[in-house]
Amino acid sequence: MTASQARELVIEVRGLERRFGERRAVSALDLELRAGECLGLLGPNGAGKSTTVRILATLLGASSGSVRVLGLDPLRDAERLRARIGVVPQELALYEHLSARENLEFFAVLQGLSGTMLADAVQQGLALAGLAERARDRVKTFSGGMKRRLNIALALVHGPELVFLDEPTVGIDPQSRERVYEMVESLHARGVTMVYTSHQLGEVERLCDRIMILDRGVKVAEGTLEELWRNPRVERRGGASLRFASASEGEHARALLGAQGLACEVVDEKPDLERIFLDLTGRALRDEESA
Amino acid sequence: MKAWVMAQKDLHVFFRDRAAVALGFGLPILLCTVFATAMGAIGGDGGSVGRVELVLEDADRSSASRALVAELQAADGLRLDVLAAEAAGEESKDTARSRVAEGDAPAGLLIGAGYGEALASGGDLPLVLYRDPGKVIEQQILAGNLLPAFFAAMGERLGPRIGAKVLDTFDFPVLGRERAQAILDSSWSSMEALVGELRTRVPDEEEEGDDEAAAIEAENVEADVETGDKDGGDSDSGFDFASGMAELLGLEVEDVVGGDQEAAARKVAQQANAVAGMAVMMLLFGLVACGGTLLEEAHSGTLDRLRLTPGATGAILGGKFVFTALVGLSQLALLFLYGSLVFDVPILRAPLALGVLSAAVAAAVTGFGLLFAVLCRTQKQLEGLSTLVVLTMSALGGSWWPLAITPEWFQKLGHLTLNAWAMDGFQGIFWYGKGLGGILPEIGVLLGIALFTSLAAWRLFERRMRV
Repeated sequence: MTASQARELVIEVRGLERRFGERRAVSALDLELRAGECLGLLGPNGAGKSTTVRILATLLGASSGSVRVLGLDPLRDAERLRARIGVVPQELALYEHLSARENLEFFAVLQGLSGTMLADAVQQGLALAGLAERARDRVKTFSGGMKRRLNIALALVHGPELVFLDEPTVGIDPQSRERVYEMVESLHARGVTMVYTSHQLGEVERLCDRIMILDRGVKVAEGTLEELWRNPRVERRGGASLRFASASEGEHARALLGAQGLACEVVDEKPDLERIFLDLTGRALRDEESA
Repeated sequence: MKAWVMAQKDLHVFFRDRAAVALGFGLPILLCTVFATAMGAIGGDGGSVGRVELVLEDADRSSASRALVAELQAADGLRLDVLAAEAAGEESKDTARSRVAEGDAPAGLLIGAGYGEALASGGDLPLVLYRDPGKVIEQQILAGNLLPAFFAAMGERLGPRIGAKVLDTFDFPVLGRERAQAILDSSWSSMEALVGELRTRVPDEEEEGDDEAAAIEAENVEADVETGDKDGGDSDSGFDFASGMAELLGLEVEDVVGGDQEAAARKVAQQANAVAGMAVMMLLFGLVACGGTLLEEAHSGTLDRLRLTPGATGAILGGKFVFTALVGLSQLALLFLYGSLVFDVPILRAPLALGVLSAAVAAAVTGFGLLFAVLCRTQKQLEGLSTLVVLTMSALGGSWWPLAITPEWFQKLGHLTLNAWAMDGFQGIFWYGKGLGGILPEIGVLLGIALFTSLAAWRLFERRMRV
């Protein structure tokens, strides 16, 4: 048993299905996530990422299958679960006419914080979002990046054990994106378990321990980047190819083949998530499935 | 060309929201229907003319008094509420006067004991008309219906009585009084004969007569316009029954509400009524908009964020209720304060009752606002639905005209709206000076409406929020 396997199971999903009328948004999905892990959820538009997150976050019911989050049923134990999770929605869910501090205070109070715990949580939220100096300014005066950071801080103000981040870096500049990455890395370092959905493959590669690729509501692959790279469905570049775990093994093979009079080239190929993604999900547009 | 492309885009967007389109086109038709029906009912359409309630107390119980009651019952414009006869020696608290004083009816008539005998002997008739001068339109309808009934019930005995009163008025010398009375009596008989003859005329002549009457009426209207008389000649003084025919008939008239300052009080009553009517209607519009913040929350995504907090459904809806009700209460307070300063609305007459009633009205309106906000999926739907319901309720509920001048079915329908109950309550305080105890039924109904609409909103919202 590895150290990772020894950790507590935070999310356990078996045979999850969610239908909207005739359409299956999620089908036969199995998912496990252990404490402290960060799972990247990838997929084209309409793959079922947001539906899965909404089900896990108590915002949507499943049509069938079993779901346990932090040992609780998101449907029956929604109230208890909501106090222990944080959700960063894709859209900016902020009160533009309130200040950053007022936004944080409002949601912290609704989460049951008061007194010094409330004051500390608000201060930490402002610091985390890098908005301490603009705490009293109305949100409507903020840049897109500042709003995104506050959007994340609001989901973390009550110190959740499990955080869902649904495309948290949409539409912001590289500097703000970098700040968001730092926020996520800081959470990861503190042992917060996370589910991170994104179209930005680079950020998933950087931030997540494991990656799950969904397509048309079905899981098509799951594992670390290395494991995905070794997936036989990921195409190799032209001609016959062999894959080795290390450069020295490749060199040894080339020597053996050379001795047989066979020419070959050893290429140090790094896992390319974009290639993995396109090979596993195809190149056809999926816009119609997100409708 | 680009303008047409722009218009096409807007048309496409407009027609995509089917519910909003249905309301956009259906709303004017529905409102036309409601108002045309209401105006038709008020104006009279084949027997459904607005009838004015007259509380009748017959203390005489003679054949003459019963004849008068029968004539009053037959009057088209009156809805008679005859009080039960009391056993001999018993004094009832439920009198025609008390009913008018409580605001239950705009007028009451007491046929005092000895009416039959006085009518036969030519003595003073023990008739007392109790009026609520605040209900001006009702008094005009009442006067127009009382006179024919009195004439019909008293028959030929009325002529000599009026003649004698006229002679008294002119202080006619005693010496020629007998002759003068005989002339008047003979004129009366001639008049009766002429009426009989006119009634037997053929219909086409009657039509001609109608035309003549119409021409005379038109002339009168022109004359009124020239003299700046907007109400028409008769109603310049509201055809004051008290100072005109009532005196000739020997009818005692008592204004039981308003006291000595009747004219000023009547003006205040009408202004208070208008202020209260508009206040309730504008409150409905305003608070539906407040309830609409729920839709804004859903649109901006903050509703999902709120849902993720413990106890979300109760907190969200409860919070919206408190916010909307407080805004409504503040609006009412400001409106009444303004009404008090500018229109002398007597807000200090029963401050506790006014406060509690205002809170009940704000709560009922808030319930409506929240229910609409939960029912509608878009702001356009909310705007359409609220315009339809608010204007209809205001028309039916007496925010625009007194319900008393509408037919009975209209009044019953009107009391299905919160406006009617709110108006009854405010009128009770401002005009009748009722305290909290006097308006408890209105407060109870309004709180019931608040409870029902809020619970309905709660159930719908819970269902919508359910995962």
